[in-house]
Amino acid sequence: MDEQIIDYALEHAQSKKVEYAEVRASDQVQDRLVMRNGVVEAFGSGVDSGFCVRIIANGGIGFTSTNKWSKQEAKEIVDLAFRYAKAANRKDKLVFAEEKGVTTKWVVDQKKKIENISPEDKISAFAEIDKALTGCGVRIAATMSQCFIDLITKYFVNSEGSRISSFVPKIGAYFFITVTEQGKTEQAYKQFGYSGGWEAFDEWHVSERMIHDAKVLKDVLTKAKAVKPENMDLVCGSEVTGIAAHESCGHPMEADRILGREMSQAGRSFIYKGGEYWIGTRIGNEVVTVIDDPTIEHSYGYYAYDDEGVKASRRLLYKNGIINEFLHNRESAAKLGTRSNGSSRSINYDREAIIRMANTFVLPGDYSEEELMKDVKHGVYMKSFTEWNIDDKRFNQRYVGREAYLIENGELTVPVARPVIETTTLKFWTAVDAVSKKVQFDAATCGKGDPAQGVPVYTGGPCLRLRGVYVK
Amino acid sequence: MSEILAKTEDIVKKTKILGADEVVAKTTFGRYKQVRFSANQVDITVAWNDYVTDIALAWKKRLVATQIHDFRNIDSSLKQLISLAKVSQENPMFGGFAKGKFRYRKSEADKQLESLENLTEYVFEAIGAAEKAASGGVDSGGILFTKFEDIYLVSSEGPIGVDSRSAIELSIRAFTEREASGHGVECSSRLKDFKPARAGVKAGEIAKLAKGSRGGDEGVYDVIFDPLIFGSCLGIWGGMVSAWSVMVQMSVFVNKLGQKVAPEYVTIRDNPAAYSLSNRAFDDEGVQTHENVFIDHGVLKTYLHNASTAKLFKTETTGNAGLVFPNPWNIEMDAGDMTKNELFSEMKHGLYLTNTWYSRFQNYAKGDFSTIPRDGIFLIEKGEVKQSLKNLRISDNVLAMLGNIAAISKERQHVHWWGEADPPSLSPYVLIENVHMTKSR
Repeated sequence: MDEQIIDYALEHAQSKKVEYAEVRASDQVQDRLVMRNGVVEAFGSGVDSGFCVRIIANGGIGFTSTNKWSKQEAKEIVDLAFRYAKAANRKDKLVFAEEKGVTTKWVVDQKKKIENISPEDKISAFAEIDKALTGCGVRIAATMSQCFIDLITKYFVNSEGSRISSFVPKIGAYFFITVTEQGKTEQAYKQFGYSGGWEAFDEWHVSERMIHDAKVLKDVLTKAKAVKPENMDLVCGSEVTGIAAHESCGHPMEADRILGREMSQAGRSFIYKGGEYWIGTRIGNEVVTVIDDPTIEHSYGYYAYDDEGVKASRRLLYKNGIINEFLHNRESAAKLGTRSNGSSRSINYDREAIIRMANTFVLPGDYSEEELMKDVKHGVYMKSFTEWNIDDKRFNQRYVGREAYLIENGELTVPVARPVIETTTLKFWTAVDAVSKKVQFDAATCGKGDPAQGVPVYTGGPCLRLRGVYVK
Repeated sequence: MSEILAKTEDIVKKTKILGADEVVAKTTFGRYKQVRFSANQVDITVAWNDYVTDIALAWKKRLVATQIHDFRNIDSSLKQLISLAKVSQENPMFGGFAKGKFRYRKSEADKQLESLENLTEYVFEAIGAAEKAASGGVDSGGILFTKFEDIYLVSSEGPIGVDSRSAIELSIRAFTEREASGHGVECSSRLKDFKPARAGVKAGEIAKLAKGSRGGDEGVYDVIFDPLIFGSCLGIWGGMVSAWSVMVQMSVFVNKLGQKVAPEYVTIRDNPAAYSLSNRAFDDEGVQTHENVFIDHGVLKTYLHNASTAKLFKTETTGNAGLVFPNPWNIEMDAGDMTKNELFSEMKHGLYLTNTWYSRFQNYAKGDFSTIPRDGIFLIEKGEVKQSLKNLRISDNVLAMLGNIAAISKERQHVHWWGEADPPSLSPYVLIENVHMTKSR
């Protein structure tokens, strides 16, 4: 990465009548492996490298990017960004919330450097999983697996004096299996993610977990009963807790949605100024606290500084059941009269940084998982989910169980096939009356932005007990 | 031969010298612009230039790929790629890249879209049209996007081609009330056919009609799908016809070739025609693209293939090769014999859905899924909009919905929206019977 070109671009931007300018460069070494039924379909490897300029002038924002590394190109994209910013001709002039310039360098350590893992070893690690699945005693019609590796070097400078360099290795994996029994099929997928080195692969225990899922699918096909639709207690496993935290807390608390900036794509929020819900409004039981925290070391959503150069910090989104703190970047923070809490992320040099979650999860409570179940006379334990979605105001959501069991008099009895909870954000979080002690995380790729930017995140939490919700 | 084509050819030659059995290289010089707006104002104007060569090579049935962005280090990138191939694993199913020479249609790319300025004028035209159609103030947001790409493709197996691809699209969502919105899109490969006001009018009209919504009731309904929401269905179904989706069981069409999957008046094809946002003269192996009818009068006729998957399925490539896997380009549903007005006037009791998002499957092979309609949802009684509704979800099955298509309009619209109605499609108004709607409890 030629930092001189980046510094030149900033210098050139500052020679113009700008209110703010930044230049962000990234260099991503990318490996992509796709396998089907244990055989390599394709192995991709390459480097994507370029830089972008963002300028505020006359209250408008211009953003341009290129992967051509030359001073001439830098000059041209700065000139264009400046022209675009001025052409916005906004009535409400945009400003950024105040920040001080930062000079720092941050890196994520690797115990087993990904750079030292040969392609053969990567292939063999994935092939072993397929082999283990083939021999697990379940009829598997097809498997598909993918490995994503990104070694991301960034350099960020802005007109307020920030100079931030970083290096983050990210490793991700995705598995999709189809199990067949008696002419019927069931499917499951699982994603893994980590910021750090190849040590992640050993820690994930992928074979064990995929074999478990394959057996669960077999049970769904051969043993599971449908649930009789009615109001009952529901215990959510950490995977279900995590998706609910992400979808019905993290997303609606993104301030750009709240302000309408994402209205035509990812949508708005049930939270808005002058509406029923705002900071200080109750949205759930007091046992519920949902946070978003990019500072969890080696998490998939980890970062030390966001893509606007703001230091990352833990955000208390729903605090004891009360709407507490939105996710902000510098633009939304200025509009709502506060400071950014470091939530601005971009997947690459050619994408605008926008407000994103990092690792969103429910804080643990006092109960053991056994204690949660013990007090349920009749209900369902939804340990994991398959189909899910939520409306674009983030209020009406649906989760369909993948691994689920009937609870009778405090005991797990038979597997339940595809139980469904379809409810509102308010009802979901209000129905929670107990939270377990142990927090677990799952990796996910969160989608937002246009063009789409899938960012790595963790979702997670402990088990939750919901009282008297409708399960079908 | 242009300089870039010569450089692309040079990459192929060098890779062959390094030992590759087969190589395809595609250089794209892309210029992209976007205006994002909300609250009737421009939030940001974006331009990005991308210079990239995609390379796929095979060595002893090992398929590897890369993207070169930094042209100063081509030789070392190629050496790395061939080394990767040599340590990769054989895929016995790999059938090779497409072979032969092909004649390509002449590009009809619109040069005006290469250097279009004053993008915000189109945005304000759409916002103004939405306001007028809604008869009052609206809160509008969306994007305007333009693309101009020059493509240079060289394959060691014969194909060599140059293409230019242009596109412009506008997506606008207008709100008349907090829970009353409409969404309109306008898509074209040429500026002269691009009418941003049309999208604004559509968004404004639906937003006006959507005022005063109440929660909808669960049940089984006959539903008229607007071209935009039906474009989402076509995108999903088109993706499931890709041979790759079939191979990994992410498709309801596994083992259904030759079988009836829809009524006989349903014909659906893939066609990257000149009007489409995804127009192209050749695919990523250099095979000339053409239309492929995949559901012909209700019968599943073919999957969409590249050369390798075609060999596996003992057929010919359909010209749908991506860099590694086959993709649909632009889905077209053949027009029906009813006008849009006739479709509505003949509906005694049902719903009219205008848009959706967040479609997710519990089982792709079986087809069970749900999706959440957004923007205007209307209860239709005796051909008229009786009530604006909200908070409903489609919870149904792909094969059931395909089988329950009851009528198709003559009118069709070229639609594309974000990842939700993607790839683009030529989509009619469609009546589907017995659609299962659910809601939160």
